[in-house]
Amino acid sequence: MKKRGHKLYEELGDLARFVENAMKTISNVGPQIVSSSQQLPTASSHLSDLNKMTEEGTLEVMRLTELLQDEHGHIGKELRAVIEVLQTMDCAKLAERLENINALLGQEGKHLTEIMTALSFQDLVAQRVKKLVSIIDEVQQRLMELVVVFGLQQSGDKAVTDGTAGHLLKQLEESKTTAMKQKVADDILAQFGFK
Amino acid sequence: MPADLSMKILIVDDMVTMRRIVTNVLKQLGFSNIDEAENGQDGLQKLKAGKYDFVVSDWNMPVMTGIDMLRAIRADEQLKAIPVLMVTAEAQQKNLVEAVQAGVSNYIVKPFTAETMQEKLAKIFK
Repeated sequence: MKKRGHKLYEELGDLARFVENAMKTISNVGPQIVSSSQQLPTASSHLSDLNKMTEEGTLEVMRLTELLQDEHGHIGKELRAVIEVLQTMDCAKLAERLENINALLGQEGKHLTEIMTALSFQDLVAQRVKKLVSIIDEVQQRLMELVVVFGLQQSGDKAVTDGTAGHLLKQLEESKTTAMKQKVADDILAQFGFK
Repeated sequence: MPADLSMKILIVDDMVTMRRIVTNVLKQLGFSNIDEAENGQDGLQKLKAGKYDFVVSDWNMPVMTGIDMLRAIRADEQLKAIPVLMVTAEAQQKNLVEAVQAGVSNYIVKPFTAETMQEKLAKIFK
């Protein structure tokens, strides 16, 4: 009985040391956890921006493709009318050449439709990005729970910009304001006499 | 019976780019009576409010998913006969089985081509 009690005492001692070591380890990584949890919303925001930017780019390509499709439709109709006139005038050779051009237009029309369907990559990218954002949100929530549970001290705003990840995020953040629209740039250049 | 080019089609997708792509492909195939909805719930409301002949729907959507909308369509006496084509990135076998069990008319995996859309339409309206 006494031997068993001693064994239990040793086990409890080991367990206490293990918990103490674990607490030390966690408090050592505390600043990184706090820093990471502060950076994650920024990363999440950049991913969402990425979605918005690809959507805007895709919609612009679609708009231009649809313009080309409409123009193709009009050219096709005009050609068809000219071919009919030429056929009644017995200009078979000329009509045949226009038929060839019309067939080529039809082929180009198919390519334009292929461009439209190829743009569905944006939807697939957006779905992946949404999943990444939800994973990041989940990780951030877990990190915040760690911060609260272990009472980790905030290391101040400095932590956000510390380290490689912080530096990259800072660069990305800055690029938001430095990336200028061409029209704004042209307006400014015009004010300085650039035509 | 080939697809009637004047039939009223509803495209249900939360992504504006996908709605535009499907609309464009259908227009290239000769269809012109096309309407859009942003999610399953919106789609279901439109289906109940107006007479539609064909539905093209995404799977993953907020508020109500495509598969839930499909089940609701098949459970509704007024709507259950409408053919539903699912166009989705959910390409796992279990998803396809789930869609078939829910009563899907056909299934297209993204990204797709106009030829695939034409082929599926021909199968649905043969």
